[in-house]
Amino acid sequence: MSKTSSSGNITAWNKNLLFLLRIIFVYFLIQIIPLDLKFYKQISRGNLPGLHYGDIFNIAHYYPSWFSNAPSFADWGVFLLFAVVIGIIWTLWDRNRTTTTNNNIGYDKLYYWFRVILRYRLSVAVIAYGFIKLFPLQAPYPSISNLNTNYGDFTRWKLFGLSLGIVPSYQSFLGAVEILLGLLLLNRKTASIAAFIIIVFTGNVFMSNLAYEGGEVVYSLFLISLAFFILLYDLQRIINLLILQKPTAPNRFHPSFFQGWRKYVRLGLKTAFILLFVVIYGFKTHSGYRKDQFQYPNQRGLPGFAGIYNVSRFAIGGDTLVYSKLDPVRWTDVVFEKWNTISIRSNRPVIIDSTNIDKILRTDQKRSYEYEGSAGRHYYSYKTDTTNHLLTLQNRNPHYATEQILLNYDQVNDSTIVLSGTDQDRLPIYAVLQKINKKYLLQEVEKRGRRKSFKL
Amino acid sequence: MSSTETLSQSISPKPGSAQISEDLYKSETETIPAEAWKPYERILFRIAFIFFIAISIPNSFEWYKIVANIDWTNLHYRDLYDIARFGSGINLFGNTIFGNALVGYANWVITLIFAITGGFIWTAVAVARKTERKEYRSLYYWLRVIVRYRAGIGIIGFGFTKVLPVQMPYPSLGILNTDFGDLTAQKIYWLSVGIVPWYQVFAGIVELTAGTLLLFRRTTTLGAILLFGALGDIVYVNFAYDGGVHVYSTYFVLLAAFLLVNDLPGIYNLFILERYTVPVFYYPAFKKKWQQFTRIGLKSLTIGIFLILFFWLQLVNFWYDPYKQPSVAGVKTLRGSFAVTEFKINNTVIPYSPLDTIRWQEATFEDWTTLTFRVNKPTSLDLSNGGGDPQRDINRTFEISGVGGGQRVFHYYADEKNKVLYLQDKFKPVPDIRNRASGAGGDGGTDRNLAQQKSREEETAKRDAANNKAALDWIPKDALASIGDEVYKIDERAITTRRKREFAEIPKNEKRKKMVLHYETRDGNRIILTGINENSDSVYIVLDKINRRHILTESSLKAGKY
Repeated sequence: MSKTSSSGNITAWNKNLLFLLRIIFVYFLIQIIPLDLKFYKQISRGNLPGLHYGDIFNIAHYYPSWFSNAPSFADWGVFLLFAVVIGIIWTLWDRNRTTTTNNNIGYDKLYYWFRVILRYRLSVAVIAYGFIKLFPLQAPYPSISNLNTNYGDFTRWKLFGLSLGIVPSYQSFLGAVEILLGLLLLNRKTASIAAFIIIVFTGNVFMSNLAYEGGEVVYSLFLISLAFFILLYDLQRIINLLILQKPTAPNRFHPSFFQGWRKYVRLGLKTAFILLFVVIYGFKTHSGYRKDQFQYPNQRGLPGFAGIYNVSRFAIGGDTLVYSKLDPVRWTDVVFEKWNTISIRSNRPVIIDSTNIDKILRTDQKRSYEYEGSAGRHYYSYKTDTTNHLLTLQNRNPHYATEQILLNYDQVNDSTIVLSGTDQDRLPIYAVLQKINKKYLLQEVEKRGRRKSFKL
Repeated sequence: MSSTETLSQSISPKPGSAQISEDLYKSETETIPAEAWKPYERILFRIAFIFFIAISIPNSFEWYKIVANIDWTNLHYRDLYDIARFGSGINLFGNTIFGNALVGYANWVITLIFAITGGFIWTAVAVARKTERKEYRSLYYWLRVIVRYRAGIGIIGFGFTKVLPVQMPYPSLGILNTDFGDLTAQKIYWLSVGIVPWYQVFAGIVELTAGTLLLFRRTTTLGAILLFGALGDIVYVNFAYDGGVHVYSTYFVLLAAFLLVNDLPGIYNLFILERYTVPVFYYPAFKKKWQQFTRIGLKSLTIGIFLILFFWLQLVNFWYDPYKQPSVAGVKTLRGSFAVTEFKINNTVIPYSPLDTIRWQEATFEDWTTLTFRVNKPTSLDLSNGGGDPQRDINRTFEISGVGGGQRVFHYYADEKNKVLYLQDKFKPVPDIRNRASGAGGDGGTDRNLAQQKSREEETAKRDAANNKAALDWIPKDALASIGDEVYKIDERAITTRRKREFAEIPKNEKRKKMVLHYETRDGNRIILTGINENSDSVYIVLDKINRRHILTESSLKAGKY
């Protein structure tokens, strides 16, 4: 048993507390243990050598949604109902099993293991987010197109991401904090301290998701609920010591079942956990940061083309259109990204695409960060036929999935590209692009600081 | 401190000893003679005492002058803000070490050197005179009281501008129409909070809660933890985004850390060592009636002024006079975003091209008295964070600071009878000093706002006084009559003594570009501006409203009344 068996139960379990424990136990297990096939399919697809950091992240980010594609608070009600039913059955069954009162020590043990599960679940979650921040992948530096989009043409959530993206050092700091908290959770003695800080930290994430209309409202509150339950074990002690300022007894439950071969099993499991979610995952995210940043497509664009171009001449169906802020047809400027994306600014409205859920996807096609929550421009991925100088543009926004633009390109000189072909409505178009040597205030001030006078 | 450790170790972790120690605990706070502190603890305490007293007391004459002159019969929120926010530390020898400001922290290093020196002298004197005390639990208590109230009042003053969200305003139309890359990092951070006023309220409540918890003994630890965490994040944010408030936010982290020193041994003992822990907090017994009344009285006064009165004043500011936004309503028919359809200068038409360096590309009339327009030609930029406490709308520069992309921002006085706008550039080559009360360590932004500028400013001030007065006389008398007095153009509840006093002063360094434009519009969809621009050229400009809906959705919580 445990070292403290002499002094009886650690927690004075009574009927009500036990009933509550059983319900909460089931309630959390439903949310932690994947019951759907999708999850296992996902796992079985990943083979170790080809393992992508995204696979580990997506496993760590598992959260069930029974009724819709996105997690919702409606699910919580159902989880609770389910938990209550099982809790009742369990209580009835247990009453028949043990009629003698004295040993509910089993429940101390259950509580202990329950807390272990919650600790590791929460640890995985924060470490998963920690590494994609430590190596600033989650909010990458804004693309050229993003830098050249009006502030008001972004959704709140996109602006939240972009604003974090311009300060990689801060993002790394936040990531380091998350990883540290995740590691502290693995240690029984520091778990409550970590849980307390996570409530504050993730509490802020939760509030941000609410305010900026992010997609992780439910998930972040779930993490807070885990942290709260972990903290609950020591909450009375904390209040007693720090608020009531009274003498306080420490935790007296020490697991004594880790003896003999069990010791090695524990050590092995813990090592495996750290190996997968800290060492391998850390290594993979690091190399991902260098070679495969998940928010942007990975396919290179036309070499030497990256930049923003003023559209100095634009003709459609043979008619030349003059510059106009109001014209939905005439292009104002065009961006070639370093990867195979072209974005075109005009006054043509954009139905925005915005899911705001954190998921790491391997295929370029699904990497939607650059155009998510962003109007003012239409984004196209392009395929290049270099022998015929042909570009096939495909609108990236699912709302415009059928739109294609076919263009011949002619790089007249370093700064001029002439495009001709047909637009999304098969109308003949002709455009002359002049590269703009754009100086961004954001970057200029970063170089020189804002303490000296400056003209731009 | 030490007594916590010694006590907690001396009590054996026997189960069932709770009752005994409960009694022990009670007597400790009242009658038990204190244990002696170790010599090094006494020296550390003396150093800490000098250091924390020094950084809890205002160090500039300016602050005392400002506070002494507050008109308590007609308060402005900024009056209380000024009380709550001041420069501190020992600055008799300046705020640099060998000419290096250490990104603003030099004052603390200097103060620490003083404190260490003082601490050792204190020790030497006490030992020499054989009057050395065995412990300082009473003095330690009072030092904590001072730090608690300093940190509490300070963070409450800081938090209220967020609780009623005015510290980070919602972006103006001109900013919404500016490209993301044409903003400074500092601006982007401020805006990212400004777009979600409810989140700003939340952040304010966190700061306010931390401050309030510090006012009570039992909740001090909780308040200090909250303050440490929240402001620690803000320190990092300020370094990352070059926000300029890193020193002032670190200040609170430092004070919070000091308040936590007392708790850390207990937390470590209980959770890491898993030992029975008896916290030791010394509280002086206030036995006499007058003592109790004084205590309750001072505490109530603090709460009354800094929580209740402050809330009301900040609410008035939020409703009628959001301090970073101009507060006088702009001409109603003009408001909106506009495309520049036609542009003639000295009777020559310039067709639209994004590359042209003279022509306006687009324009906005804000809800308040501001016109912005974009020209593709480099212009001098205001890189401050647009804060401070200017009362005149023209000096409220949040909408211009940190914004590039060729944006020009002009304040206007509207003579609505004759339909003439008298416009002045909001950019000023020599900006005014901001945050006078807080002195160095304020959110100055550019050092042009700080000491270096001060001497130059004083020098030119006299010479310019005449010019400045003339600068106000460029508007004809009958037009001025139609425009009305700016002081009284906001809700009367917001017309405070502070406002009146500042308007009574002659503005300094008023060298601004000016325009006089006549406007003509039927319904605001098309506006024709004619007149003289900032380079004395005659212009004819046709503006057509862009009925664009921004993707960014505005909150229900809006500051100001326009």
